[in-house]
Amino acid sequence: MNGVLLVAKREIATHIRTKAFVIGLLITAALVAAVAFAPKIMGGPEEYTIGTVNSQRLPLEQAAPEAKFEWRSYPDEATAKKAVLDGDVDAALVGGTKVLTDGEVDSQLGVLLQSTNREVKLGAAGNIPPLQMVSVGADTRYQAARTGMAVVLVIVLFMLIIGQVMMVAMGVVEEKGSRIVEILLTSVRPWQLLAGKIIGLGALGLINLVTILVVGVTASIVSGVAGDFPPGMPGIVAGVLLWFVLGYAFFATLAAAFASLVSRQEEVGNVMSPLTMLMMVTYFGAFFTTTDPTGTLAEVASLVPPFSSMVMPVRMAAAEVPLWQIGLSTALMVLAVVGVLSFGAKVYQRAVLRTGARVRLGDVLRAK
Amino acid sequence: MLEISELRKRFAGGPDAPGGKVALDGITFAVRPGEMFGFVGANGAGKTTTMRIVMGVLQPDGGSVHWQGKAVEYADRRRFGYMPEERGLYQKMRVAEQIEYFGRLHGMDAAAARKACDDLLERLGLTERRGDAVEALSLGNQQRVQLAVALVHDPEVLVLDEPFSGLDPIAVDALATALQERCRGGVPVIFSSHQLELVERLCDSVGIVSAGRMVASGTVGDLRAAEARTLRVVVRDPLPGWADGLPGEVTVTGDRHVLLASEGDDQEILRRAMKAGHVEHFGTEQPSLTEIFKEAVA
Ligand SMILES: Nc1ncnc2c1ncn2[C@@H]1O[C@H](COP(=O)(O)OP(=O)(O)OP(=O)(O)O)[C@@H](O)[C@H]1O
Ligand SMILES: [Mg+2]
Repeated sequence: MNGVLLVAKREIATHIRTKAFVIGLLITAALVAAVAFAPKIMGGPEEYTIGTVNSQRLPLEQAAPEAKFEWRSYPDEATAKKAVLDGDVDAALVGGTKVLTDGEVDSQLGVLLQSTNREVKLGAAGNIPPLQMVSVGADTRYQAARTGMAVVLVIVLFMLIIGQVMMVAMGVVEEKGSRIVEILLTSVRPWQLLAGKIIGLGALGLINLVTILVVGVTASIVSGVAGDFPPGMPGIVAGVLLWFVLGYAFFATLAAAFASLVSRQEEVGNVMSPLTMLMMVTYFGAFFTTTDPTGTLAEVASLVPPFSSMVMPVRMAAAEVPLWQIGLSTALMVLAVVGVLSFGAKVYQRAVLRTGARVRLGDVLRAK
Repeated sequence: MLEISELRKRFAGGPDAPGGKVALDGITFAVRPGEMFGFVGANGAGKTTTMRIVMGVLQPDGGSVHWQGKAVEYADRRRFGYMPEERGLYQKMRVAEQIEYFGRLHGMDAAAARKACDDLLERLGLTERRGDAVEALSLGNQQRVQLAVALVHDPEVLVLDEPFSGLDPIAVDALATALQERCRGGVPVIFSSHQLELVERLCDSVGIVSAGRMVASGTVGDLRAAEARTLRVVVRDPLPGWADGLPGEVTVTGDRHVLLASEGDDQEILRRAMKAGHVEHFGTEQPSLTEIFKEAVA
């Protein structure tokens, strides 16, 4: 175990002080922060279209002079409701007491309506009943935030996993090609070397991911975007970390096994191409999930390893996922990782000392 | 005692050698604690293959390696020091960090590894370069780092594949001294080399491999004794025809006649020479290791 830790520590120490790592970390942090602030910056002055049925128009302009309001009158509640559902209006004021919206009312508009309503009626006697907010549509208030989060997640997960996995592959070939393995393997076991490398580079990936999450969440709170976050954010964040670890372990182990077949850096791309394809397919699957998180394809892909490693966290961010599906998908992925670990360790162990021409996978598996 | 017995290894051949290539054909030798063993042989004779098998980097097809009476295992090899033929270091890692890292991999604690590293850097003249990346060093200096990596954990056995190649004379001396010190501490040292004068100067015993077999081994003295001795006589200004009837050959340079004879009665030769002229030199020639080597692998 000590050997594993030493190897992992070396990986972390060597990479963490390279310019590439530091700059990469700063750039991703800046990008994520920018994404979190974008809605605020690009939003500009708010525009609302409000319908009325048997109601006075409220002097909303006075309370929010920078916002624009457009008013439309409807003959009865039914037509107003239809207009709300069609998205013609953001809200409809009915009889001066009730507000119809599609899903939860926009938080700013809600506050505006309530306070203006109070002021208008201040002259009247008795206590003033607040406006009754009624949703006539499905609950879609978090949809935009969820989709946005899912898209950012897909990109972050993909970049991090493929980046770290390539580093594992190149590290393996560096050691094999330069014959450092010959000395290393007289003091540590092949599995220790393999595990140390995967753990060390994975820890670097986690540092990246945690930075991104912290920056993203902090920036969202500061910019106010966090107000739109769906409930269960801690679960989503924990899921992202778990799935990163599983996905990375899966792909990195395979990468190490494939890379141990060759002795030169130029051959890495070639030997890794099936694995790169698999990662790309997973990535596209996850991207598709952001557009249709409740579709059958997303549902199936989020259960089948290794696609689940990226599709499931994205689905969890984009929509509610039944608990049993999360459990099943995690269990299957853990099994896949265990399988890949034993396969990868076997290949690595047998191939890493066979320098020279590219070793064929079949030969390695057949040997002994 | 490190005992290598009957090692066999065949490499799978390419299309041109379908039967494969026999690299080792029953190599056997032993190195005692405190003995410096020089491993010599032509290119492709099987030195590297033998050392790789000793270090567990290659699996033999047959034969065994024993250390202190029992078959060598991974745990034993962790206490061996190894310098592979193809040097391998992390190019971007700093010199001292690298040496310490390998010390720690061999099970040393941080303080011990640091101390051993500092001592080695001092001894190998690398103290000023300790903070440099390995790739910034000259080849010879990289080689010194490689050596430090092999020595850092104070190994029980040293297996060094051509440790002297590429070193300047000062570094050769530093390395030789370092190895002799380890030897005096009871460590068996095996090293391969093509610099036979060096092997002759440093080694207690020598093994000559040829085509995967050990064709001669023993102390340099033993190997010499096994060779036919040559008598060398130098006579100045002798009478013409003085050596007629004597065994051997005479070469003439100026007024000096040199007789080289590998047989015959040396006393008779001396008498004839003294009668013929002024004898400047009379003695038996020691064959050099190079001559022994050429003879052995011929
Ligand atoms: N991986 C390999 N695959 C095929 N043949 C090999 C391999 N390694 C060594 N050989 C063959 O085994 C024989 C012994 O090689 P080895 O490297 O042990 O020689 P050596 O004595 O170290 O030579 P040198 O003095 O050139 O270093 C050579 O004929 C070589 O071609
Ligand atoms: Mg060699």
